[in-house]
Amino acid sequence: MVEPVQVQLKKGVLELCVLALLSRGDAYGYEIASRLAKGIEMGEGTVYPLMRRMQADGLVDTYLKESTAGPPRKYYKLTAPGRASFAAQKSEWSSFSAAVNAILDGGQ
Amino acid sequence: MTRQIFMNRLRNGLAGLPPKAIDDIAADYETHFADGAAAGRSEAEVAEALGDPDRLARELRAEAGLKRWEAERNPSAAASAVFAVLGLGAIDVLVLLPILLPIAGVLLAFFMIAVALFTAGAVGMVAGPFWVLGAPVAAVVLIGLGTMALSTCLGSITAIVTIGFMNALVWYGRLHLRLLKPALEPQGMSA
Repeated sequence: MVEPVQVQLKKGVLELCVLALLSRGDAYGYEIASRLAKGIEMGEGTVYPLMRRMQADGLVDTYLKESTAGPPRKYYKLTAPGRASFAAQKSEWSSFSAAVNAILDGGQ
Repeated sequence: MTRQIFMNRLRNGLAGLPPKAIDDIAADYETHFADGAAAGRSEAEVAEALGDPDRLARELRAEAGLKRWEAERNPSAAASAVFAVLGLGAIDVLVLLPILLPIAGVLLAFFMIAVALFTAGAVGMVAGPFWVLGAPVAAVVLIGLGTMALSTCLGSITAIVTIGFMNALVWYGRLHLRLLKPALEPQGMSA
């Protein structure tokens, strides 16, 4: 059962993508899931285990907010450690992807 | 797949977790179905996009089991972590079992030896002076005490080795949590 490289890559950057989305504003589960699914074609269900783990790790926090229709929604927001982790992972990703691109573009 | 079937399979897969955790997780997916309906998608479309409920439940249970072992080091948490890791994938387990079982057996044997020695020491200390007529009472009591101390020491060392072994197992489990512990995440980043 070898998973395609592409799937592994997507899963690897999923947490970084969630951190990036939340850094631009709080969001609820469906928003995060559909945004990720549209952008990188992930199974939407994957988002909830990920959010639970990130909450357990202290990267995100949740709060309830009234919605226009239906019961109150659970929103996710970044915590201070979450912000710090985003900054660290983002710069790590930038230098990593720059290095990979340089190799792919065949400099030498 | 309808919402009802998806939710039933998810809940069945989560059985064994604390009821509150199951309700929390189920509520997340119920809300997702409701939001999907509000956005004009059918139940079947939403279920399709969510993915396989059995696999989602397995990953959720595995993470919960590993987290619990990290929070509380006791036999029951150890058992749930082992089962969580075993639940992850049949192929990995088949590779792992021939290594796991002998180690677990040896550790268990050491624990039993420790308990037996401790009991023998206690019995010897209390009853020894009556059995071994003529022997100096102090010597018999000291031998009993010594045996008990030795067995306690053996038990402690076995416990330390067991905890180390469990930590190794949890580490192995994390390696294989492809979904929740992404492969590209640097070791120790979120620890």
